[in-house]
Amino acid sequence: MILKVENGAFAYPKGPEILRGVNFDLCDGEILSILGPNGAGKTTLLRCVTGMLRWKTGRCLLDGEDIREISPRRLWRKMAYVPQARSAAPAYSVFQTVLLGRSSRIGSFSTPKKEDYAAAERALERLDIAALADKNCTELSGGEKQMVLIARALAAEPELLIFDEPESNLDFKNQLVVLDTMTGLAQSGMACVFNTHYPAHALQRSHKALLLKKGEPGIFGRSPDVVTEAQIRSAFGVNAVVRPVETGSQELLNVVPLSISGDENKTEEQDRQILAATAVIMDSNRASEQINAILHAYSHLLVGRMGMRRYGAYIINITLRGAESEIRALTHRLTLLPGISVKTTFAKDDFGGKEPES
Amino acid sequence: MRRREGRLSVLWTMVLALLPVAAALAALGIGRIQIPPADVVKSLLAKLSGSPGLEELSEKTLWQLRMPRIILAALAGAGLSVAGCAFQSLFANPLATPDTLGVASGASFGAALGILLGFKMIGIQLTSLAMGASAVALTWLCVRGRGRGLSTVVLSGIMIGSLFSALVSLVKFAADAESQLPAITYWLMGGLDKANYKTLAYGAPPILLAIVVLWLMRWRMNLLPLSDDEARSSGVHIGALRTVTVICATVMTASVVSMCGQVGWVGLLIPHMCRMKFGSDHRALIPASVCLGAAFMICVDTCARSVSAAEIPVSILTAIIGAPFFIVLMRRSGGWRL
Repeated sequence: MILKVENGAFAYPKGPEILRGVNFDLCDGEILSILGPNGAGKTTLLRCVTGMLRWKTGRCLLDGEDIREISPRRLWRKMAYVPQARSAAPAYSVFQTVLLGRSSRIGSFSTPKKEDYAAAERALERLDIAALADKNCTELSGGEKQMVLIARALAAEPELLIFDEPESNLDFKNQLVVLDTMTGLAQSGMACVFNTHYPAHALQRSHKALLLKKGEPGIFGRSPDVVTEAQIRSAFGVNAVVRPVETGSQELLNVVPLSISGDENKTEEQDRQILAATAVIMDSNRASEQINAILHAYSHLLVGRMGMRRYGAYIINITLRGAESEIRALTHRLTLLPGISVKTTFAKDDFGGKEPES
Repeated sequence: MRRREGRLSVLWTMVLALLPVAAALAALGIGRIQIPPADVVKSLLAKLSGSPGLEELSEKTLWQLRMPRIILAALAGAGLSVAGCAFQSLFANPLATPDTLGVASGASFGAALGILLGFKMIGIQLTSLAMGASAVALTWLCVRGRGRGLSTVVLSGIMIGSLFSALVSLVKFAADAESQLPAITYWLMGGLDKANYKTLAYGAPPILLAIVVLWLMRWRMNLLPLSDDEARSSGVHIGALRTVTVICATVMTASVVSMCGQVGWVGLLIPHMCRMKFGSDHRALIPASVCLGAAFMICVDTCARSVSAAEIPVSILTAIIGAPFFIVLMRRSGGWRL
């Protein structure tokens, strides 16, 4: 499945242009995050992508076909939409709600069949919420409700999932539950698009990011290339620092907002060449091909690598030299692989930057 | 594992199906002329086998007076209940009634106008149907194009409804106080005394057809209370679903009003009773509303014609019987939700 938006622009009738110059593409197993300040058109973009609103210019292609030319029934078997878990929900049981996700596969005058029940059951089990099946949706907590809505989307057996701010209005733990669910679905081969207010979630979860700014073309690229301190300042008007946070096994990029920016000076571009060492530990070698592909893409940074297999784990030590932002981007791509621990340390200075003479 | 929830159990299906039949059989025997149940059954069997039945007066009472009336009651009850149920789901609003889009007010105006102009029964029925449909069409026109939020639709319906109520008052004001005004007033209070097979021939088919269409769409109707984006992302043409629902509910309500005037309460009471008992899934809700609505209306109409010598308008009874019963049920089941 390939989702592609070409030169999308949108305006409400008689209104100013809300979206312009939107370009992105997404493949199976990838997560795209959509960031932007309030009013920049994040939700509008999702509604355009799903064909609920009509682009003013540009188009949206699903496997090369313009979605306006795909019948709703066929379109909504390929993609599914996960709305925000707002307070009002119809008083159906969880199972009935999930079963509604099968609508695109059930005829107008028909009722659910055996396979529809089975698909709903599978969706509940996949998200580990089969225990909720008989509860009424009006009795669920916010986190449970969001999981039920994801299950409903999965019941349609789509290839592309579209989330509208899946983690907003949720507590700390439930944010993690929902985001982990999304990551898991992507790792199983589904393509995911999500709107978010949290740049950190975009960095930690998504392969690609689209940053919307009011009245300017959207910026699309690999997440660490898009979600940078400079871009956050220009899109949100906030001074923030993007820094890795070290955990026992990984380092995750985090975004800490500092202050609201005026027209202050920009921080200097970090073009300085720097030495770094990246350590990778994996539970198996299933991701080794992907690692090779990533290292190949950044081969100009590569100084040396060493792999070994010890104590049932696969260990790779990679030495790199290059711009800090590029090394961080490489680390980030490795972090997104399944079953992997990645950490990069940077040298304190560049030691003159010369190879020793032998 | 297959889950039965959302659908009626076999036992409930049987109970619900038998309820209107039992009510009808009982109602056949009750009235000014008491006919014992045994005789009712005898006459029924005689009708089926073609052999001679009871004496002429009883036969005539049973099959020319009571039967059409019972059929009309069953249709009115079933139609109004399903229409109420459809509107409540469509507007995701527990307070919606069959009159939400102004149908009943429009149909009442049509009937009052027919009486004022001295039309015959069929003429009154037809003007009533036409005005009911125009009221909904007007409501629909009001909200076309911009701001099609569902609350806008409800608001427009209320406005159009009150417009037609005012027109009814205007007709009453213009009517002849000796003959026409009482006729209009009684008609508006609702009553099934005008029932005969000829009225039914015009009024019954649209109601039955609309019920069948909604029953066929019973699973789809579960999408109605969802928010706009959610409904559209189900891959279903939600606009078509809503339009068909509105047309069916309008046809049913206008047909009922054109035959027996305004019968309040049924469209609110019965769907909510069904929701409390069977949940919000329309696979259970539609058949349950049909059966319970029909049985309820047969009972109420039987009371209306047999409690006192003069007939009591049926709307008064639906409220007097319905309201307390509803409150008891609501308190016991802990309220209702859509």
